Amino acid sequence: MTALLPLILLLPLGGFVLTGLVGWRYPDDAHRIAVCAVVASWVVGSIVAALALLNASPFGTQGAGITLWTWIPATGFSADMGLFVDPLTACLLIVVTTIGMLVHVYSIGYMAHDPGRWRFFAYLNLFMFSMLLLVLADNFLLVFAGWELVGLCSYLLIGFWYPRRLAAVAAKKAFLVNRVGDMGFALAIMAIWTQLGTLNMQAVFAKFGGVPHEWQIAIALLIFCGAVGKSAQFPLHVWLPDAMEGPTPVSALIHAATMVNAGVYLVARCNPIFGAAPEVMVVVAAIGIFTAILAASIAFTQTDIKRVLAYSTLSQLGYMFASLGVGAWTAAIFHLMSHGFFKGLLFLDSGSVIHAVGDEQDMRKMGGLRRKIPITYATMLVGAVAISGVPPLAGFFSKDEILGGAFKNGFLWVWAIGFLVAGMTAFYMFRLMGMTFWGPSHVDPEVEHHIHESPRSMTGPLILLAIPSALLGLAIGFPPETGLLHQWLAPVFEHTIAASGRVEQAYTFFGVDGALAIATTALVAVAIVVAWRLFGVEIPALGLRAQPQPDRVRALSARPGLSFLYKGSSNKWWFDDINHKLFVDWGGKLAAAALWFDRTIVDGTVNGIGTVTTDAGLRIRRIQTGRVQNYALGIALGLILMAVGYLVLAAR
Amino acid sequence: MSNSLDSYLILSGLLFAVGTFGFLARRNAISMLMSIELMLNAVNLTIIAFGAFEPALHTQASVIALLVIAVAAAEATVGLAIVMAIYRNRKTPLVDEYDAMKE
Amino acid sequence: MPIGDTLPFTAIRWDDILFVALAVTVLGSALLVVTMRDIIRCGLAMILCFASLAGIYVVLGNPLVAAAQVLVYIGAISVLVLFAIMLTQTKNAPTRLVFQTQAVAAAVAAATIGVVIMATVLATTWPAGSSRVWTSTSDIATMLFSQYVLPFEAVSVLLTAAVVGGVLLARREPAARDEDRP
Repeated sequence: MTALLPLILLLPLGGFVLTGLVGWRYPDDAHRIAVCAVVASWVVGSIVAALALLNASPFGTQGAGITLWTWIPATGFSADMGLFVDPLTACLLIVVTTIGMLVHVYSIGYMAHDPGRWRFFAYLNLFMFSMLLLVLADNFLLVFAGWELVGLCSYLLIGFWYPRRLAAVAAKKAFLVNRVGDMGFALAIMAIWTQLGTLNMQAVFAKFGGVPHEWQIAIALLIFCGAVGKSAQFPLHVWLPDAMEGPTPVSALIHAATMVNAGVYLVARCNPIFGAAPEVMVVVAAIGIFTAILAASIAFTQTDIKRVLAYSTLSQLGYMFASLGVGAWTAAIFHLMSHGFFKGLLFLDSGSVIHAVGDEQDMRKMGGLRRKIPITYATMLVGAVAISGVPPLAGFFSKDEILGGAFKNGFLWVWAIGFLVAGMTAFYMFRLMGMTFWGPSHVDPEVEHHIHESPRSMTGPLILLAIPSALLGLAIGFPPETGLLHQWLAPVFEHTIAASGRVEQAYTFFGVDGALAIATTALVAVAIVVAWRLFGVEIPALGLRAQPQPDRVRALSARPGLSFLYKGSSNKWWFDDINHKLFVDWGGKLAAAALWFDRTIVDGTVNGIGTVTTDAGLRIRRIQTGRVQNYALGIALGLILMAVGYLVLAAR
Repeated sequence: MSNSLDSYLILSGLLFAVGTFGFLARRNAISMLMSIELMLNAVNLTIIAFGAFEPALHTQASVIALLVIAVAAAEATVGLAIVMAIYRNRKTPLVDEYDAMKE
Repeated sequence: MPIGDTLPFTAIRWDDILFVALAVTVLGSALLVVTMRDIIRCGLAMILCFASLAGIYVVLGNPLVAAAQVLVYIGAISVLVLFAIMLTQTKNAPTRLVFQTQAVAAAVAAATIGVVIMATVLATTWPAGSSRVWTSTSDIATMLFSQYVLPFEAVSVLLTAAVVGGVLLARREPAARDEDRP
């Protein structure tokens, strides 16, 4: 069975190579190879994941892997090309392959009019290969290889419409900010090598207890640094909103469901490392929950539909890191899975909306689309309800587990902020729904004639994604803390949980846990109702109907206390400006100073030596006059010198 | 004064100095050769003077001086022949115009 | 009437007067050789210098070498030099500078050499006799043909080579003979 593992990787890689080499000749059919490769990979991946989750042989409870060949056979250092699957990998495999496949199918319709779509599918396949390599790798160096590759694919895909300057700039920004985090990860790998002498992950986890505590903290911090870059946490969060310049399927796949989860996966996979350094876990939780509230606050005022979803992604990723930081490992993976599905659904839905209104992304020019694009509307509503955490959809279970874990493990401040963010999430999601689908139509009249539902290749994936968004929580997360997912992932995290000394308290529906769940649901309900009052709602099935009140919104945002919050939020809390001032302006000045130093002093010295030599040579050359009498004078002078010198010396 | 070796040696030293100056400072090649002859004569004078004042050496000194005169003659012959050959080529007897070895 | 050893009514010996006169002539004519503008006059001054030197050789008690000096130097070398001067002067070339650019440095160097030699000579006590010795010609001849016969022969070969070489260097190129023309 482990022989199937390389197949999961080879299929998308082969798809990339074939589409890249041949696809430009057949632009209309370029997608066929790519989609078939990804569907086949999904089949194999699902089989492998099922076997791993059911603990069937040869995986067992601890997972198994195969080593394909020795990648770097150097003396004193070696790294293998090896793949490893355990229940954690299986969960990620399910998410990556399923959403990847659905995004590929969706892209057939979305990119139907784009002449460069052979490139698009090639890049998408390369991305699938890279992400699967990252997930399946068994040693840190291979993870790093996959890490960098997904960064590269993100660059290629964000800047897919490269003639557009904003897209190219956004792609560059994403890559550079990612690089900052990647440096931390590279340093972590080097530290692991010097301390432990091996890069194989299972071997490292087994021996990690023997490392001095300062090194444990350092390694854990550096690994988290890499995760911060890839998963866009504060302060490296600035690239994700700009990454929305790419096509919507890219946003759905990379920036919602897969690549940004790589950081969460890495931290979860390295749970023994983090378990040995509880100080770093506090840092993780702090940064995670801070990002959550920061992003949620910015999402309040954004007018681009994809930006709202991008900030929402940042916020939910913050939740996941907060969950990892407080020690609720399984809850984080649960949220990762459910978030992957409903955020993917939301992004694809937004793509469908954008497609319908003729590539317009500003929500202020939408409105009243409920009747015109019904399937999109229905699925998007399901997604919005799921992310808001309304029971019994998936988001409720996963978010609740996170908040419950935070509360019970003693991180009350994390619980408090997370509680607040749950309400904020519900508010801005229903603001989005109100501005897009309900209320009067602000659509440009010329575009209004052309509004049509998307083709079946696009709505099919939407419906297919809506199902797990609705049901996943019930399927694998219920009953809470004893459901299927906990059973599957228990062997992965049990050592770390046991080592942290925390006793797993049983879920008490009529005790603490129940109270927390009811409190969260109440806050969410209040937030939704407020959003309805301000932005309108039209759900005839439930008898809900209200008109949006833009004047009231404007009055609220102009209020003295709130107006500063409004301005800060719509300026993204000036982080981009700070970065620009620090790195672009001052960095530019530093670079100019270094250039001056290099040109004037360094080059001047080197050139100066050359010039001095040449000039000296030119001057000394004049001694060679070619005239014997001059040479004879030299002889006479030398003779005099020697004679006088001899006489002086003899006189002493 | 004529009985002391010093005066003859001083005389020959001064004659040598004059010859050196002429060799280093004149432009005409033949002037240089004449200066060389002066220097050779100074050396000859030294040898003869030593021979006159040191009885054991006087015969040898004379012989050596005769040989020196012979060699000086040979050298003058060849030197002047060279100067004439160069003159035929360069049309000038001035040595500072023979600078083909100039860098 | 016999002349005394010294100048009458003084203590200056004839030897000294002769030596001083000859020495002044030698140096003076040498200076003229190296400083005069007209090169023919330089050659004539050189002849005068050689003649005075011959006189000094006589004062030193070596008439054979004095005779050789007159014969070879004045009779052969000076004539050779004068012929060479004649053959290498162009009539219409304007006489330009006599001295090189480095004349000053050369004068300094020459003066220094002279001073150094003088200082050395004066500072040394020569382990020599206090008066001149007359050299007999038969002694010279004996030594020349017994002890120094090899250098004597070598010098004769040298002279032959020099003469032949000189002739070869100085002759005109023969006119090219046309062998193709009948």
